[in-house]
Amino acid sequence: MALPVLICDDSILARKQVRKSLPESFDAEFQTAGNGLEALAVLRSQEIGLVFLDLTMPELDGVGVLEAIKAEGIDCFVIVISADIQPEMQKRVMELGALAFVQKPVNEDKIIGVLKQYGFV
Amino acid sequence: MNRLGFSEEQRDCLQEIINVAMGLASDKLARFLNTFVHLQVPSIALVGAMHIPEEFENRYQDAEAALVSQGFFGNEGVRGEAIVLYQMENAHKISALLGYEAGDVSEIEMLTDISSILTTTFLNGLADQIENSLSYSAPRILSSRHGNVADVLKNTSFHWEHALKVDISYQLIDHSFNCDMILLIPGEAVSNIKNILDRILEAY
Repeated sequence: MALPVLICDDSILARKQVRKSLPESFDAEFQTAGNGLEALAVLRSQEIGLVFLDLTMPELDGVGVLEAIKAEGIDCFVIVISADIQPEMQKRVMELGALAFVQKPVNEDKIIGVLKQYGFV
Repeated sequence: MNRLGFSEEQRDCLQEIINVAMGLASDKLARFLNTFVHLQVPSIALVGAMHIPEEFENRYQDAEAALVSQGFFGNEGVRGEAIVLYQMENAHKISALLGYEAGDVSEIEMLTDISSILTTTFLNGLADQIENSLSYSAPRILSSRHGNVADVLKNTSFHWEHALKVDISYQLIDHSFNCDMILLIPGEAVSNIKNILDRILEAY
């Protein structure tokens, strides 16, 4: 069965980059969100298996989304994809429950590596 | 941003490339200052270079300001001049963080260092993504006294047609620090940039 996946980034290009980096063998149904608030609206109303989450976004940033997921006990895996590569930020998102941190810009190697590591493909 | 005819797709593409470059520059700055930098989405705008002095006049007119400039050169006609503007009040906060005394001569060196870190890391990150590589001239201080920022900007931007304004706002963990970065570029660079953006967009 296809995995429900949410791609959250304020950039259209970045969302397309994620989509294009995913292997064909990855059976998923995609939804997108343009900021953290939109992402939470989806996460609160639907079952989402995996989120690709940007950090630096207007309205609500990725850290805010991770905090809400944790506080509300929303059941989903989160892979953070961000340009904010400061070690402290990476540590912070992992502590908030992210599965992995991927440095922008994404490409096939980076995404497939992470998906394989956690058994998504 | 659309004043010079960027499509919404081109703007989104440029914004994302700038965000990634900004992330690299912030990481470098955070390491240099040994602190954490809270990243915000930088606002970008492309304007005629002649409008640059008036765009910054209000923000800098009453404050002591410093301007540091650095030239850059790459392939495919990509070249220009990067200017980082600071209010001295912000510069003093940074020097305090690094253990300098306000007004110290070395504070100017510190500003040159920070500007150079910001500019070269940012522009290298930008160049990598558009498969270009850049070289740089040495950074130079354009003004560090209570002078007329608009006049200094007028003299500098006079040589260029266009300017890409990148409004950077850094919040350090217990201080806030703002500066502006302006990339002055010649007219032909704008059409080159558009071609490069279209090439990237076609790939997706």
